[in-house]
Amino acid sequence: MIIKEFRELVRDHRTLALLVALPLLLLVVFGYAANFSVDSVDTAVVGPEAEQVAGTVPGFFDVSTTEPSEAEDHARDLLRDDVVDVALVTGGSGAQALVDGSNLFAAQSAVAALETSGQDTSIEVLYNPDLKTSWVMVPAIIGLILTFIGTIITSIGLVREREAGTLEQLAVMPIGPSTVILGKVTPYFLLAALDMAVITVLGMLLFDVPFNGHVLTFALGAVLFLLVVLGIGIFISTISQTAGQAIQVAFFVLLPQILLSGMIFPLEAMAAGVRWIGYLLPLTYFTMVSQGVMLRGAPITALWLPLLVLAVMAMVVFTAATLRFRRDLAPERKVKSRPRSTDRSRSGA
Amino acid sequence: MTYGLTSVDVSFGDVRALHDVTVEIPAGQVVAIVGGDGAGKTTLLRTLVREVAPDAGHVHAPSKAEIGFLPASTGSWAALSVTQNLNFAGGVYGVRGAALDERRTALLATAGLSAAADRLASRLSGGMRRKLGVCMAIVHRPRLLVLDEPSTGVDPVSRVDLWRMLSEAAAAGSAVVMSTTYLDEAERAGHLVVLDAGHVLVQGSYDEVRAGFPGTVTRTGSAVRPGWSWRRGRERHEYWPDGDAPPRLPVVEPDLEDIVIALSLARRADAGARA
Amino acid sequence: MSTKVVEARSVTRRFGSFTAVDEVTMDVAPGEVVGLLGANGAGKTTLMRMLLGLLPTTEGTVLMLGGPPRRERRRRLGYVPQNLGLYRDLTLTENLAFVADAYGTPVPALPDDLSRYADVLVADIPLGAQRQGAFVAALSHEPEAVLLDEPTSGVDALARATLWDTIREQADRGVGVLITTHYMQEAQQCDRLLLMSQGRLVAQGSEADIVGSTRALVVRTDDWAAAFSALNDAGAAVILDGRTVRVADAGRDEIARILGAAHVDASVEPVPATIEERMLVLAHQAR
Repeated sequence: MIIKEFRELVRDHRTLALLVALPLLLLVVFGYAANFSVDSVDTAVVGPEAEQVAGTVPGFFDVSTTEPSEAEDHARDLLRDDVVDVALVTGGSGAQALVDGSNLFAAQSAVAALETSGQDTSIEVLYNPDLKTSWVMVPAIIGLILTFIGTIITSIGLVREREAGTLEQLAVMPIGPSTVILGKVTPYFLLAALDMAVITVLGMLLFDVPFNGHVLTFALGAVLFLLVVLGIGIFISTISQTAGQAIQVAFFVLLPQILLSGMIFPLEAMAAGVRWIGYLLPLTYFTMVSQGVMLRGAPITALWLPLLVLAVMAMVVFTAATLRFRRDLAPERKVKSRPRSTDRSRSGA
Repeated sequence: MTYGLTSVDVSFGDVRALHDVTVEIPAGQVVAIVGGDGAGKTTLLRTLVREVAPDAGHVHAPSKAEIGFLPASTGSWAALSVTQNLNFAGGVYGVRGAALDERRTALLATAGLSAAADRLASRLSGGMRRKLGVCMAIVHRPRLLVLDEPSTGVDPVSRVDLWRMLSEAAAAGSAVVMSTTYLDEAERAGHLVVLDAGHVLVQGSYDEVRAGFPGTVTRTGSAVRPGWSWRRGRERHEYWPDGDAPPRLPVVEPDLEDIVIALSLARRADAGARA
Repeated sequence: MSTKVVEARSVTRRFGSFTAVDEVTMDVAPGEVVGLLGANGAGKTTLMRMLLGLLPTTEGTVLMLGGPPRRERRRRLGYVPQNLGLYRDLTLTENLAFVADAYGTPVPALPDDLSRYADVLVADIPLGAQRQGAFVAALSHEPEAVLLDEPTSGVDALARATLWDTIREQADRGVGVLITTHYMQEAQQCDRLLLMSQGRLVAQGSEADIVGSTRALVVRTDDWAAAFSALNDAGAAVILDGRTVRVADAGRDEIARILGAAHVDASVEPVPATIEERMLVLAHQAR
């Protein structure tokens, strides 16, 4: 019995990969990525004494912008647009520090550093004054739940056709591959969109998370993100023979996004060798959009980068998925494997 | 209108599934494709409906909208009811509204599925599910009806129902082609094609096939040449392709099973000799 | 003391208000090949499962090798279910090794025509060879009775003949075989037949016993399409047979009348009915 199970397991490459590669992945991630403490924060200094302050500020504050001619309003804009995480405003009635509360760990570290620096600075935490974790997490979780729905549900839904054998029938009907894909994706898209709206509202109600920005900007980011996630789901369905396999691959795709998208461990705190993975994940960019819109009220112009990345990802993923799907539905040539004789056992007497 | 394949070759990678296959499917008849697993029946049918593109040869078939196809696997969507399945198929082929309702009612009645109209396809027995698949394939009165092993594993009564539905379609003018491992169905077809390892062994009406069958078949208790004999009931039959059976052995009038087996053995011997 | 390998005495099985098997009495003797026929839902699979001891009876007794069904006795039976019972992601050899281990018997040798598939995954072997392999596995522990559920479904004529070679070999050695089939020509290879309909055993014996008093007519005409349509529309149980039309369970005058009304010039003759036609009549009665 044991031998039989072992033999079957060895042939099941996907489960094997899951059992072996997953612990390795977790080890690497926790080794290199898990880091709650931020070493430095992007800082801007504005106001007439900008130059001097920039020179005397503790090394923790990585001054990337010094603008003596600008004042407090500009500093707030810099924070809103996520250019920097901390802005020091000089001149006026004393040193003032503005901290971006939507970047939780950076903010916490910045506040601590400011308080221990001894200098008499008035600290104002913007966007998330109480530095609540839930305010930062909820926008990210909206994305996570959608990744889950989009990837797993889509991949299972489409694989069901292949498993049932009805895919062959669709291939012979006078409907093009595009129609099939559209017909298959639309219900999941609508379902996911509804889900997203519900979760967002619920998150706001339960945790008092604000929504300071424009609904349309949020919607745009959501739609693009959904398309990416659904596209990944379709793609997984084209490389899986059974629902079980589809779930395994979806899980493999899902797990890194939880750990490396900046949702739990801040991206800045990760070792560079692992951080780049985070920049490949769609959830990372959606979180930028959702946190930007909900907490900071950022305008669409400030969010052009994550939105663009999502748009490009959506195009790439959908193209790849569609091309693979077409192969399932269109005439075959020189296919590597011989069509297997189908299982003829039917429900008997 | 006659459909079919002319000198078709199909390969999948290194494996040749069909060698120089020519088959005619005339309208108004049921053509039966006979052959074992791996003979190429499914590939032949898939090539005919243009699901597979041939490496050589020509395919004569109408457009997708005028073809009805039942694959060897299910043919219906498990999570939908009988009625919903038929409505979907109708919609895809442009049969809608009152015309669809009428057609659906008539088809279900013929198939004996009226009582199960609202039952989920997954809850139908094997035979009923196949009948549903046939209904879906003929809902739009296709000019060419292609069915891959519609009766395999199906109980005898449902098989009779299936056969009746196919006969009706042929009588109404469609060209009907089906593959089967049941030789009694092949004997009943107007025209049959015997495939073996991607080659057409013989084709024609049952009478023509019998008339053109070379050699003799003898009945023995034990085989004279083991590689050329097979079991029938309590005895063995043996094939003498050159008709040189020893005179003492009783000769039988070969039926289709004898013919199919004999020709397969001959082809294998040929292939073995050439190898 | 019964000498039969499996036996059912007035066996009934109900599921709630539904009676799947209704007072069935049957048996299989050593060395006999018995064919179990019936439409879907007739109760064949339920009966088989009770004979194997996999399902208890609601009423009546099942005897397995002379005694009540027990695990020790079940070791002396062989069973090939419809879906083979082989692991598709193991090779033939590995499957046989597993079965041999489970029963504590030596690993059986593969017959010549299967030897080239010895180290191939079952999923990649042609169906006929798969079924043969399943046989070898089921027979490896030298059972005294073998139950086969549609063993030749989907298999070509030559492979079917080979499988029947094996079945006959076993019967000649004294093994009792119970086999279900939907293929009537295969039924003719059995020593004895049992016909079930709606849970009851409606006939048993030779082919003639199964056909019973069912009548059939053959209609010969050039205009077969019209004859078929006319009779079909009139609700007769018709089967198209090449260019002739067969009608089950109908009077000659009745048929002649229908054809006459449709202006079809045809000859109508009585012929021996087939088992299918008996089953067709039973189904019509059930509807």
